[in-house]
Amino acid sequence: MSNRIVDFYHFLKNRPIIRSGIYLTLLVILTIRHLEINVADFSRASTNLTILMNEAFPPDFSVITDRAAWSKPQCTFEADWACSPAIIGITQTLEIALLSTIFGMVISLPLAAMAATNLSPPWLAQITRQILSALRVLPSLIWALIFVILVGLGPFAGVLAMTMYTVGYLGKLQYEALEGVSREPLEVARAMGLPRWQIARFFAIPEASNALISQMLFMFEYNVRHGSVIGLVGAGGIGYYMNYYLSPFQQYDRVLALIIVMYVVVVIIDQVSLRIRRKFIDSTDQIQRPRWREVIFTRKN
Amino acid sequence: MSNDQLRLHFSNASIGFETESPLLKDINLTINSGEIVGLIGRSGIGKTTLLRTAAGLLSPLSGSVECCCDLTMNAKRGSIALIPQRLGLIQHQSVGYNVLMGALPGANYLQTVLSLPSREMQEATKDAIRAVGLSDKIFESVNQLSGGQQRRVAIARAMVQNPRLILADECLGELDAETAKEIIELLRSLAKEKDIAIFIVDHNPLRARTFCDRLLQLRGNSLIEFDNLNERHSLPQAGDR
Repeated sequence: MSNRIVDFYHFLKNRPIIRSGIYLTLLVILTIRHLEINVADFSRASTNLTILMNEAFPPDFSVITDRAAWSKPQCTFEADWACSPAIIGITQTLEIALLSTIFGMVISLPLAAMAATNLSPPWLAQITRQILSALRVLPSLIWALIFVILVGLGPFAGVLAMTMYTVGYLGKLQYEALEGVSREPLEVARAMGLPRWQIARFFAIPEASNALISQMLFMFEYNVRHGSVIGLVGAGGIGYYMNYYLSPFQQYDRVLALIIVMYVVVVIIDQVSLRIRRKFIDSTDQIQRPRWREVIFTRKN
Repeated sequence: MSNDQLRLHFSNASIGFETESPLLKDINLTINSGEIVGLIGRSGIGKTTLLRTAAGLLSPLSGSVECCCDLTMNAKRGSIALIPQRLGLIQHQSVGYNVLMGALPGANYLQTVLSLPSREMQEATKDAIRAVGLSDKIFESVNQLSGGQQRRVAIARAMVQNPRLILADECLGELDAETAKEIIELLRSLAKEKDIAIFIVDHNPLRARTFCDRLLQLRGNSLIEFDNLNERHSLPQAGDR
C-alpha cells in the first residue's frame, strides 16, 4: 500500500498539469461542501421550469398596448400605447441611462485627469483613485437602494444611483486612457511652462478623445442594461414594472413581454454603439483615426 | 556678450538618471540669441536626454542649466519651444488646433477657461501656417499629413509661441533632401529674423554642418564643441564613442 502511495507521489511529481488539476478539483469540492450546495435540488428545477414556462408563455404583449395603471411622472399622452408600461419603462430606462452617462462623464473627466499619474502629482492621483475606488465598491443596485431612501421612489433616484456608479467606473477607464497618451505632446506643453490643468485640457484630453468617446458610448450601453435592474428597488425604468408584475401578481407572461422589449432595445443600442465605437478603436497606428465630428456629420464625397 | 543675449547656459552640469553613473558629465555650453547650434552623436549616447534637460523636463544631476538667466525649470512661460523627435502633435486634432496650441502660453486665464483665442492669436496662427506653406491644410487632421508636413506643423507651433529658444530633436530625420532644405530655411529665417536661438539634434553631421553656426558632438560622456567648423577632421567617424 505504502509503495503505491510512493509511486503515485512520484507520478504526480513529474506531472504538474495533473497535479494542478487534482488541487483544483479538491478546492471545488471543498467550496461546494462549504456552501452546502445540494445537487439533488436540481431535480426540482425541471418541474419549476415547466410551471414557469406555462405561466410565461405566450408572452402578454398588452404591456405595449394598454395604459399603465401608475407612472411617475404622470403620463399625459392620449394614446394608450404611448402610456403603456413597456413604453414608459423603456423610455425612462433610456432617459436614466442618458442623463447618468452625461452627468457621470462631466464629473468623472476632471477626476480622471486628477487621477492620471502623468498629469497630476502622485499624492493627488492617489487620493482621487481612492475616491473612484470607493464609488465602485457599491454596485448600482445598492446605490439605487440608498437614493430611493434619500429622495424617494422614481427615476430621480435612478439617475443619481447610476451617476454615482458611472463616475467610479468611467473615471477608472478614463484615467487609464489618459495615462496611455503619448508622452511627447505632454512634454511639449510642459516645456512651454503650461499649468497642469491646461496640459490636461488642451493636450491630454484631445489626444485621448477617441478612447474617451468610445468609453462613454460603452458606459451608455452598460447603463441601459443596468437601468432595468435598479428599477427592481423602485428607482424607475422598465425594472420597476417588471417588479410590479412579479411581486404581487406573478404575471410572468407580462414580465416576459417586457424582457423581450428590453432585449430588442438593448440589441439595437449595442449594434449602433458598436458601429460607432469601431470607428474610434485602432487596430494599428497606421489606420487613420477619424475625429468624432466626422462620425456624426459624415462628409459627402 | 550681454546677459540679454544669453539663451541657454549649461554650467558644469551632469546629466542622466542616476547620480552614480551620469550619461553626460561636466557639460559646459552657452547658446546666444540668433544662433543655430547643432548636436550630433551616436544613437543612445544622450542627445535627447540633454535636450530634455535643456527644456526643463529633467533636472541636472549636478551643476545648473539656465534659460535666459533663470533655471530652465523656472523659465519664463513660453520662452522654450520643444520639437520632440516624434513632434508631439495631437493626432486627432486639426493643423489649426495644433498650431494654435503654441499661443497658449500667451493667453490669459479667461481665454483658456473659455477656449476663446483672441483675434491676435488666430491671426498669428494663420500667419505661421501660411509661412510653412500649409494654408490649404488648416482644417485637416494632422494624422492625414505626410511626415514632412507634420514637421512643418510642429515648427509653425513653435513660431506662434514666439519663444526665445527652440529645442529640436531630429526634426529633419527621415526627410527627403528637398523637404529638409525647406525646413532648414524656415529654421534659419526664425533664428535671424526673430533672434531666436535654436539647439538642434541631427544625426547627419554633413547636413548639420551646412546650416548650423556651431556644431557640438557628444563623445563618450562629454560634449565637444567645435569653435571652427573648418576642423572637419574632428567630425565623428563610424565607431566613435
